[in-house]
Amino acid sequence: MRRLVALLGLVWSLANLGVAYFFLTSAFVAKTAAKEGILAQLSLLVGGVLIAAFAILLARECLRMLTSAPASEPA
Amino acid sequence: MAWLLVVAGLVLVGVGVAAAVGQAGSGAQPWGNELSDNFTFVKALPFVVGFGVAVGLLMSRTYGAKVRADGAVRRWSPGTVFGHWVLTLGFVLALPTGMWQYLGGILDVNLPIPLYLFYRVHYIGASIVLFAVAAFVSYLYLTGDRSLVVPRGQWGRHLLGLAYELPPSLRGRYAKLLRVDLRQPRPPAGKFTFYEKVVEFPSWSIVLALITITGLIKAGRYLIPVPGFVLWLASTLHVAAMVIIVIKLLDHLRYTFPRWSLMGAITTTWMKERAPAPGQSSSERSGTSAAGVAGGGDT
Repeated sequence: MRRLVALLGLVWSLANLGVAYFFLTSAFVAKTAAKEGILAQLSLLVGGVLIAAFAILLARECLRMLTSAPASEPA
Repeated sequence: MAWLLVVAGLVLVGVGVAAAVGQAGSGAQPWGNELSDNFTFVKALPFVVGFGVAVGLLMSRTYGAKVRADGAVRRWSPGTVFGHWVLTLGFVLALPTGMWQYLGGILDVNLPIPLYLFYRVHYIGASIVLFAVAAFVSYLYLTGDRSLVVPRGQWGRHLLGLAYELPPSLRGRYAKLLRVDLRQPRPPAGKFTFYEKVVEFPSWSIVLALITITGLIKAGRYLIPVPGFVLWLASTLHVAAMVIIVIKLLDHLRYTFPRWSLMGAITTTWMKERAPAPGQSSSERSGTSAAGVAGGGDT
């Protein structure tokens, strides 16, 4: 069960990295600047960075769960 | 009596939704697919919320501290576990569809799937979230359970406890920022960790309230006139709340996955030991600052 949960978590974090990619790239295109303005660009940038950072942290935990033996599980 | 209320609530939801769908699908209204779904959603909401309140009453009947013969304690009531998974289902439906509505507009991309289907799934997910929120509010009101709330006058102790749960690399900066005196001993946590009480519960409560209120304003705009500025603000905050939920969900999973007993507790309601923390020994749990500092972060 632990491994299945870790795999699902990994899929979720990868999907979120995809979302972060779209946020970050959209923050720098002229179309967003024209349609939404600088505040939306900044929001996309900050949101994208935060989503990417937390997705990486989750992926790291999931990889740890996949590679560690059940005996070494914390509490 | 509680079961009777729940059954009556379920019947009323069925009748209410059927009436709203019947009106939208009768062909007598000049509505497109999206608008039909919007009206169905808004008209079903009072029934869904009422049903949530009734289910909260039933959930409250499962509340109460219990200890098993093997020493395991009941961390969550069966009602809370039920509400948690219902809320999860709502997020699974509402979050990706909401994200696509936003990103599709930003990227100016259309999928082969019609947009109204995304809205439809989003409304179903939002209804489930609203049901769960109503059930939890009703549950907390009826049980009077405040175990995840920091009691008045206890913020200092909780901020100190949180400091010792943070990774050592963050602890110093956190303590300096919030003027937490790390020379004080590590306070013992109760049934819940300081991170759960200081960060998790308050932030989830605020962001759920934000997305619920702004979503209701957005959804109700065709029934009740909403000033342009209020609608713009609600839309902006709704998107902001969605992004915060995406981040919070990642953080929630990051926090709970390595503490496997928490995962067990939110499934079975039981936990064999208190306040789990990776790498934390029993001496650290006793609450000495030396042990806390030496033991590294828990969060």
